[in-house]
Amino acid sequence: MKSAFTVLFAALAVAAGIQTALAHHSSAGFSEGTKVVAGTVKEFQFRNPHSWIQINVTDESGKVTEWSVEWGSPNQLGRDGIRPSTFPAGTQITIKLRPDLSGHPIGIFVGAKMSDGKIVGKWSDE
Amino acid sequence: MTTRFVTGLALFASFLMAPARSYPQTPTLTPFDKLPDWSGTWAMTGGTVFDRATQTGKGGTIDPGVREHPPYNAVYEKKYAEHLKLRDADRYPDVQTNCGVPSGFPRILNLPDAYEFVVRPDVFYIIAENGGNTMRVYTDGRKLPGKEDTWGTYTGVSVGHWEGDTLVWQTVGLKGDRDNDSILDRTGLVLSDEAKITTRLRKIDAQTLEAQMAIEDPKALTKTWNVTKQFKKGKPGLFLYDYGCAENNRNPVDPATGQTHTLGSDGKLIK
Repeated sequence: MKSAFTVLFAALAVAAGIQTALAHHSSAGFSEGTKVVAGTVKEFQFRNPHSWIQINVTDESGKVTEWSVEWGSPNQLGRDGIRPSTFPAGTQITIKLRPDLSGHPIGIFVGAKMSDGKIVGKWSDE
Repeated sequence: MTTRFVTGLALFASFLMAPARSYPQTPTLTPFDKLPDWSGTWAMTGGTVFDRATQTGKGGTIDPGVREHPPYNAVYEKKYAEHLKLRDADRYPDVQTNCGVPSGFPRILNLPDAYEFVVRPDVFYIIAENGGNTMRVYTDGRKLPGKEDTWGTYTGVSVGHWEGDTLVWQTVGLKGDRDNDSILDRTGLVLSDEAKITTRLRKIDAQTLEAQMAIEDPKALTKTWNVTKQFKKGKPGLFLYDYGCAENNRNPVDPATGQTHTLGSDGKLIK
């Protein structure tokens, strides 16, 4: 049941992920490849025109960097099952994103893996 | 007899002296029960590449290499090529990034999110959830205004009529690329302020509305540009929401360079 839910949720969110192409800007500044970062959700801004997932990532030296991960609009994501409660503050998550080419801690959302293994968006490379 | 004659004369005189009305003197309204049922919500199929039939390059409008091939003349082809070059360099921000201008027409038929198509005897409304855009097509028998009575707006002026279950309308009075703030999609497609568009909107099956646009533009095109967009019916009971673009816009644009910045969650500039 859980796996069925996960697949369904992932499928819906993949559809939602397509909407990342609706960012205000060209995709020229973002890598075609993906990067994985793990951290703690600081805030999920479920607002127009685009949602943002803020996560604090701690490196080996203990330095904390806040990443800004851009996603679709609440109207689009809401119809695909995403809610403001999807990424509660304080939750440990791993996010796959298309990183900003200039090296700033910014990315376009691809997928997320929750601590219980639940997938949101696209995680596999298939 | 004399009284009736005088009264009739007075009525005739008042008719002659009545000011001309801009509202149609002979309304040709189609009654509600003769109008098609386009109720519910709708969503455009495919992405926001305006003319997917002529698309080359892989991806969507913001992906480098993607372009369309309208029958532009040399001047507008050059202009489009410049926009594409800027897009590929991330220096062609969507004109709506300032969250202040409407999508306009025909872009209002090229938006993500949900739509409502409201059919009334006297007017037809396109209500797009994205951007909060609205378009009006008057179907009460009025004529299009003359050129001297239009001054260029994002959505222009539209007058239509019913041919069976097909709504046919013409749109004029578009501002086009006059102020560089009205595009058809994010590849940088534009029209001029002389564009005239004839649109035929009809239901091709229970779940699909199809808009066929014939775009004429003597300033920008060498021939009529035909573009078709389709819309699928949404699930029953779907809620539509507002879309406050300025609510949390973290991608402001530098008007001098065209660079799209990114703000952090604290509102401070990241890049």
